[in-house]
Amino acid sequence: MIRLFAPTLNGLSFVMELHPFFTAQRVLIVAGKGGVGKSTVAASLAHLSARSGFRTLLVTLDEPANGLPTHELLEQITVSPGRALADYLATKGLGLISRQLAKSGIMELVATTAPGLDDLLVLGRIKAFENQRPTEVIIVDGPAAGHALDLVRAPVQLKKALGTGPISQQADEVLAMLSDPARCRVMLVTTAAITPVTETCEAAEELMEKAHIALAPIVVNKCNPDVPRVDEAILLPSIREAYNYLSLRAEAQSEAIGVLTDSLEQSQLHLTQHHSDGTALINAISDDLEQAIRDLP
Amino acid sequence: MSTQPVIDMCLSARVIVTCGTGGVGKTSVAAALGFEIAQQGKRAIVITIDPARRLADAIGLGEGTGNEIQRVPLDTTGELWVTMLDVQETFDSLVRDTSPTPERAKEVMDNSFYRSLSRSLSGTRDYMAAERLYDLCEDERFDVIIVDTPPSRNALDFLESPERLARFLKHPIVKFLVAPSRGGFRLVNAAMQPVLKAISTVVGGDTLTGTAAFLRAFDGMEEEFSRRALVVAATLRSASSSFVIVTAPSPDALTEADHFVSELSRLGISLRLIVANRMPPHFGALTATEEHSMAQSQSGDLAHVYELIAGLHDDADRADSDIQAFVQRTSATFPSVSTAFATELATDIHDMDSIGALAQQLAAPPTQQ
Repeated sequence: MIRLFAPTLNGLSFVMELHPFFTAQRVLIVAGKGGVGKSTVAASLAHLSARSGFRTLLVTLDEPANGLPTHELLEQITVSPGRALADYLATKGLGLISRQLAKSGIMELVATTAPGLDDLLVLGRIKAFENQRPTEVIIVDGPAAGHALDLVRAPVQLKKALGTGPISQQADEVLAMLSDPARCRVMLVTTAAITPVTETCEAAEELMEKAHIALAPIVVNKCNPDVPRVDEAILLPSIREAYNYLSLRAEAQSEAIGVLTDSLEQSQLHLTQHHSDGTALINAISDDLEQAIRDLP
Repeated sequence: MSTQPVIDMCLSARVIVTCGTGGVGKTSVAAALGFEIAQQGKRAIVITIDPARRLADAIGLGEGTGNEIQRVPLDTTGELWVTMLDVQETFDSLVRDTSPTPERAKEVMDNSFYRSLSRSLSGTRDYMAAERLYDLCEDERFDVIIVDTPPSRNALDFLESPERLARFLKHPIVKFLVAPSRGGFRLVNAAMQPVLKAISTVVGGDTLTGTAAFLRAFDGMEEEFSRRALVVAATLRSASSSFVIVTAPSPDALTEADHFVSELSRLGISLRLIVANRMPPHFGALTATEEHSMAQSQSGDLAHVYELIAGLHDDADRADSDIQAFVQRTSATFPSVSTAFATELATDIHDMDSIGALAQQLAAPPTQQ
């Protein structure tokens, strides 16, 4: 698909360079442990995608993205797993009942009866967005902590638990989306320290082997700058200690990145540490991402 | 305010609960507090949920250890023990403890609804965390129990799980499902019928029958469940429990820390300690401005090195003022809260020595931090 209607000539060439990354799949689920900056990366990706000329939808779970810059091609929607069942019932013409159920607290019972139901219904909504034209790129700010795997496994487990019925059919459709790399990929976000890298490698393996989901490039967020090697003797004694600290930190960082490179064949997008927050942070990370995506092999 | 807030807390608390968002080093801090308690000659146990693999290895929690309690070999008069929360195992032993006969216990455990219930991660985990805490409080081998909450916004939900369970068990539809079955669900009163139909539409009729079978097998056990849950709730709200918020100086971590402050305040629980962890360290006697101007008088790699050092200094100054602002606004809600600091190490915490070093930093008097 070549975009002939890009706003400017510059915009056109820009679109074509970033093209393969954003159109490799329709849905990109961003996942990562708490503290790695997953939500900011998801918001920045959506912003970058929109300013590159793609009609983009950012899907967040529970809470909208903080400080997302406005853009005519960027839309944001928040899906609440807790309300997913009520929404589902409403679409099945059971809105009145669903409101009664919600009021009585019985919705919790139903969700407990079929664990993973909320997750499946969230994925079902994402699948519905996928069919909505003219949206071209869908970025999902995935669930926090280690919950991503539960989310994508929910359809398989529910199918086992429920046998046949409307939910089972929904699970089939969601599974078809998840296992098709042209439709959906997971983007893992980590920081450049050995503990999160180890966990990212484990998550990657499980996602690919147990859930059969393709991975997008891995984001290594909050990277510290490299430290040039200098002879300690030429440094003022008062700052040698700081220099040693920075060197050790940089060494630990490259060791962690080495482990990631050795364990996973996916390419990596390295983003630097920023101290801003809100819109300024999203703008800075969008710029970093743009550069890193251009440099992809 | 105490001059040694961490040591005072370690000597006086029966239960310590650490909360904080992911990536702030919450589990390391929980382990370090346990280490400090062992140093003080007392016996501590740290209960954690899903620790990072390397940290688990460092404190001797291998894969698949479940609820097993392990002692960390330390050269102290006190003791440090660690354990994880295995939801399934905790639920199983709770069912065995509370069921009137072994047959009833088996009936519950064989039920497919029970199996999916104990595997689902949401509310069950919260409730089992409370249940496990009840067990550990009863255990005379330990003086202090340190609860490392999961790194989620909803980490404090387990405090309310007893009330939620009681509400659930008293719900009319649960009562109805528990009532003796009269030819399946056909003879249902008119008000209940559309509700059951809606549930069946979504989850299928078999699931509903299974749920009813579970609730019937479970009938009568819930009183003991609720009693234990209420004991835990009372312990957590008593003066013998101390709550700790662990945070890093980054804007996102502090936003989450603010969230925990308001959650605690909403729950009517007081905050004893803030741990400002992963603080960028200060080095040397120069100011950041002096270091920046030194960078400008240099060239090439050396200029770059000086610039990086000045940048680290900027980070440390910024972290200090951001944490100070957080402590100030938190003090408005909890006037007696204390603060302890620990610097970010150049490498990850990965062994007991580095946890000991963290404990030493946390226990140091505020002037030396």
